[in-house]
Amino acid sequence: MNTPTPRAKRHAQTLWSWFWILAGVLYFVVPLIATFDFSLRAKKDVLTFLAYERIFTDAAFWRTFSFSLQMAFFAIVVSILLVVPTAYWIRLKLPRLRPMVEFVSMLPFVVPAIVLVFGLIRVFSGPPFRLTNTFAGTNVLLVAGYVVLALPYTYRAVDTGLGAIDVRTLTEAAQSLGAGWGTIMFKIIFPNLRVAILSGAFLTLATVIGEYTLATFIVGNKAFGPYMSLIGQNRTYESSSLAIISFLLTWAFMGLIQIFNRGRAEGHLAGAR
Amino acid sequence: MSFLTLVDISKTFGATVAVADFNLDIEKGEFVSFLGPSGCGKTTTLRMIAGFELPTTGNITLDGADITFQPSNQRNVGMVFQAYALFPNMTVAQNIGFGLQVRKTPPAEVRRRVDEMLTLIHLEEFASRYPYQMSGGQQQRVALARALAIQPRVLLLDEPLSALDAKIRVELRLEIRRIQQTLGITTVYVTHDQEEALSLSDRVVVMSRGRMEQVGTPYEIYNYPTTEFVASFVGQLNLLPIANLDRDARSCTLAGQPIRFEHSGDRPISDTPRLAIRPEEFWLGDGQERNLLRGRVETLIFLGAIIRVRVDIGDGVLISADLFNARSLNLPRVGDEVLVSFPVHACWLI
Repeated sequence: MNTPTPRAKRHAQTLWSWFWILAGVLYFVVPLIATFDFSLRAKKDVLTFLAYERIFTDAAFWRTFSFSLQMAFFAIVVSILLVVPTAYWIRLKLPRLRPMVEFVSMLPFVVPAIVLVFGLIRVFSGPPFRLTNTFAGTNVLLVAGYVVLALPYTYRAVDTGLGAIDVRTLTEAAQSLGAGWGTIMFKIIFPNLRVAILSGAFLTLATVIGEYTLATFIVGNKAFGPYMSLIGQNRTYESSSLAIISFLLTWAFMGLIQIFNRGRAEGHLAGAR
Repeated sequence: MSFLTLVDISKTFGATVAVADFNLDIEKGEFVSFLGPSGCGKTTTLRMIAGFELPTTGNITLDGADITFQPSNQRNVGMVFQAYALFPNMTVAQNIGFGLQVRKTPPAEVRRRVDEMLTLIHLEEFASRYPYQMSGGQQQRVALARALAIQPRVLLLDEPLSALDAKIRVELRLEIRRIQQTLGITTVYVTHDQEEALSLSDRVVVMSRGRMEQVGTPYEIYNYPTTEFVASFVGQLNLLPIANLDRDARSCTLAGQPIRFEHSGDRPISDTPRLAIRPEEFWLGDGQERNLLRGRVETLIFLGAIIRVRVDIGDGVLISADLFNARSLNLPRVGDEVLVSFPVHACWLI
C-alpha cells in the first residue's frame, strides 16, 4: 500500500481546514440569511422591506428603543463612576483583593437575572427605599440592575485597561508633580482608560438594549427587550426584521470597539519601535 | 544646618527590615548617590524622601522643615522613575507643563517654562510628540524636564538609566550631571551601577541589607573602602588568604611568598584577615617598593581597553591582574611563568 507523500498530506490538511471554516460560516450565516429572507416576505410572492417599514413607523419601537438607550446611558455612567475608581484603588492599594473582586464581578453570570430582579423588587418595594412605587423609582431600580448585569463586562474591560498602564508609577509621578486624587483620576487615569471604558460601555449598551427579564418585571413594556418579545409573539414578519435590526445594532457596537482597539494597538506598535 | 537631613530612619515591611539606622546630611546643590545591590533599601529610602513611603522610625527635614508626614504632592520634590512614567495621553509639552498646570501657573508662564525645559534637554522639535513616538532615551530626558519644570527643592532619580542601552546610558549620564550642575539642584540618585555612582556624584552612600556601609566621595569609596562589602562591591578586588601575619612588621606571606603592606583600613581586621588588592595595581615584572609574586598564567580575558590576566601563584591561589591594552604590550601566553608585582602601599588587610 502506498503511503501519502508530504505534499499530498499537506493538500489534505488544507482541504480539511477549508471544510471546517465553511461549516462554521454556514452554521452562523444560514440562520441569519433565513431570518433576513423571511423578514422580506411580508407580502405574498414579493420580496419587500414592508416589515421593516412597519417597525420603523411604529411609535412603540422608537419609544421603547429611546427608553432603553436612556437606561443604557445612565447604566454606563454609573458603571464607569463605580468601577473605574474601585478597580484603580484595588490595583494601587489592595492588589491582594483582586481575585476576590474578580469573583464578585462574575456573580451576575452565576446568579440568574430572575433571581436578581425578585431580590431587587423585594428589597426596594418597602421601607426605607420604596422605589417600586414611582416611575422614577423603577427607572432607578432598572439602572441599578443593569449596572449589576454589566459588571462582568465593565470590570473586566477596565481592569484589563489598568493592566496595560503602569498605574502605580503614573500615580506617583503625578503626585510628585503636585497632583491630588481628583486630578490623577480625571487627567491621568480616565484618559488613559478611554479605550477600555468605551469597550465596557459598548458591551453594556449591547447587553441593556436587548435585556428582557429585569425590564419586564421592573418597568414592563416601556423597554425595548419586552417590546421585541411582544412583537415576536404577535407579528411574524416584523419579529424577524426586529431580530435582524437588533443583530445589526449589536454588530455595530462590536465594530466600534474594534475600531477604537485598532487605534490603541497602532499606538503601542509605534511605541515599540 | 544641612538642606536635606535623614535622622534615624528605618522602614520595616512586616518582619522584613528594608532600611535601618539611616542617618544622612545632604548639602544644598549636592549630588548624592545611593549605591547598592537589589534589595539593599536604596529605593525605599528614596521613596521615603519622596513621600511615597512613611518611615517606621525617624524623621526627614528639608530646608529646616520636618516633611516626614507631609503628603508627597505637597513636598515640591521632583522624581524621575526607571520606567519614565510619562503620561501616555499627553504630548511632550503637556507632560512637561503638567506640574505647572496643577499649580495653576498662568498659561503664558507654562509655555515659557516648557520651552526653557525643552531647550535644556535639547528636544525643542519634539514638543508635540507623544511618548510612544519617542525612544527610551528621549522619553527619559522628557521625564527629567518634567521633574525640573516645577523647580523642585530636591530632584530624586530612581535608577533612571537602567532601562536604556549602554551607549545612551553614558550619554544621558553626562547630560544629567550637566543639567544638575547648571541648575545647582540638590539631587539624590539611586543606582546599582557603580560606574554611574562614581562618575556622577559628589558623595556616594554605599548600602547593603538596609544599612549604610560607607559614605564618602567617589575617590574615598574606591580607594579607601572601610568594609569588605564596599571593597568588593565597588570595583574589582582580589581578596587573598594570607599566613604568618606580623602586624608590627606589617608583613605576611601569600601562597608562601613574602608580602609587605602599609595600611589596614580604618575598621578592625577580621579574625581571618585577607589581603585586598585592586587588579589594576598589578603589573608584569618587578620594580622598587613593590611586592613580587611568581606564578603561572591560567587565563587571559580580553575586555577591550583592559586585558585581565589570571595568575596561579601556588597553593590554589589565583590573582586577577588588569593590564591596559596597548599595541606595545608584551602579553604572556597561557601556561607561561610570570613575575607579577604591586606597590606596597596598594594592598591592605580586611
